[in-house]
Amino acid sequence: MKRVLVMSTLLAGLIALPVVYAQEAVAPSGGYSIGFGGTRISAKDAARPAPRLPDGKPDLSGPWVRGGVNNDFETDAGMKPGELATYLQPWAKKLMDSRKAQDEPYTACLPMAPPPAVHPYPWRIVQSYTWRGMTHIFIIHENGDSGAHRQIFMDGRKHPAPEELLPTWFGHSIGRWEGDTLVVDTIGYNGKNWYDQKGMPYTDQLHTIERYTRPNYGTMVDNVTIEDPGAFTRPINLKLTATHVRPDIELSEFICLENNQYGIAGGFRPGTGIGNEPLK
Amino acid sequence: MRRNLGLLAAVLCMFLAAPLVAHHGFETEYDRNKAVKLTGVVTMVAWTFPHMRVYVDVTDAKGVVTNWNLEMGTPNDYTRQGWKKGDLLPGEKVNFEAFGGIVVESRGQLRSITKVGETKPLFSGEAPGFVPPSLQ
Repeated sequence: MKRVLVMSTLLAGLIALPVVYAQEAVAPSGGYSIGFGGTRISAKDAARPAPRLPDGKPDLSGPWVRGGVNNDFETDAGMKPGELATYLQPWAKKLMDSRKAQDEPYTACLPMAPPPAVHPYPWRIVQSYTWRGMTHIFIIHENGDSGAHRQIFMDGRKHPAPEELLPTWFGHSIGRWEGDTLVVDTIGYNGKNWYDQKGMPYTDQLHTIERYTRPNYGTMVDNVTIEDPGAFTRPINLKLTATHVRPDIELSEFICLENNQYGIAGGFRPGTGIGNEPLK
Repeated sequence: MRRNLGLLAAVLCMFLAAPLVAHHGFETEYDRNKAVKLTGVVTMVAWTFPHMRVYVDVTDAKGVVTNWNLEMGTPNDYTRQGWKKGDLLPGEKVNFEAFGGIVVESRGQLRSITKVGETKPLFSGEAPGFVPPSLQ
């Protein structure tokens, strides 16, 4: 029975694939939609049902574009002007106001931001199977130097005890399924980079809970909660949407340090912007 | 007439789009008030990360040659638009538009580049105008 299920899923996939490829991508509106990993999937393809893996789990592969808040957290999150400040502790607001765009860590080829960062380039979810089932999920970003890869443990393990946890750029992520929703819980961030290019700070007390669902072929929804008792006044809840890229697009490489000339035209030497120590 | 309208639409798109899509670093390095429109000879096309660059020798009325260093977006965006490595080569004559650098003016943010004798800008893809993805 299981074999029949697997075979029929594969067959359905093979039948569906040329249909998806044959669809003409939607022409970009305006003159600037060529970024974000190329044009998006057509509206017709986007409305198709979300695919499933042979074991019945939702296939979250993508590649996707957008679905984050890195340019301007307040605007990207759909907040009203001034609203973000109400979520920030006074020291964090003060630090944010003191930051200069030219010091953004990302422009020095450091990781862009903790999730949910927006990446102007495609990203992909890799659901990885071993003999024990889906034990790992990786989120890979095209601009690897800036976005790196995220590793999500799906084997049921817990977060390490705080004293065992060395803070890192992307923290320690454990995942689980709640029905068709992938829930990713992450702690252990190092608090070194900025949440957006405006300089929104966070600390090593950051805790993110991402809830990924794929309502149709072309859409990924991330209901995310970010809480940081070190920098925020209360948790921030966001609903973000990523879009499937045109089916012929694959992730490419991105080696930021190869030829980063940032700063020379502007006559400055960029800082790394690292650190979120409260101002004295 | 129709062509002129198209051109107008393209130019409008560029101007309307640019402020909407400002992204990492543009405002700190480039000056929108230093828009230039020049002609020159390509000396190098650098398919590099994080961004591509095209270098163009521009000779002024006095015969002084300046090598412009024109920043674009990531190579991945251009290959996705169908641009191939042989589409622009050293020695080719081009018209280009750019925003000059705040301090080093000849380091510009490339807005459009067209081979002399041709009307269609290079790597403009489906879009009539061209705004480098690094502006986004």
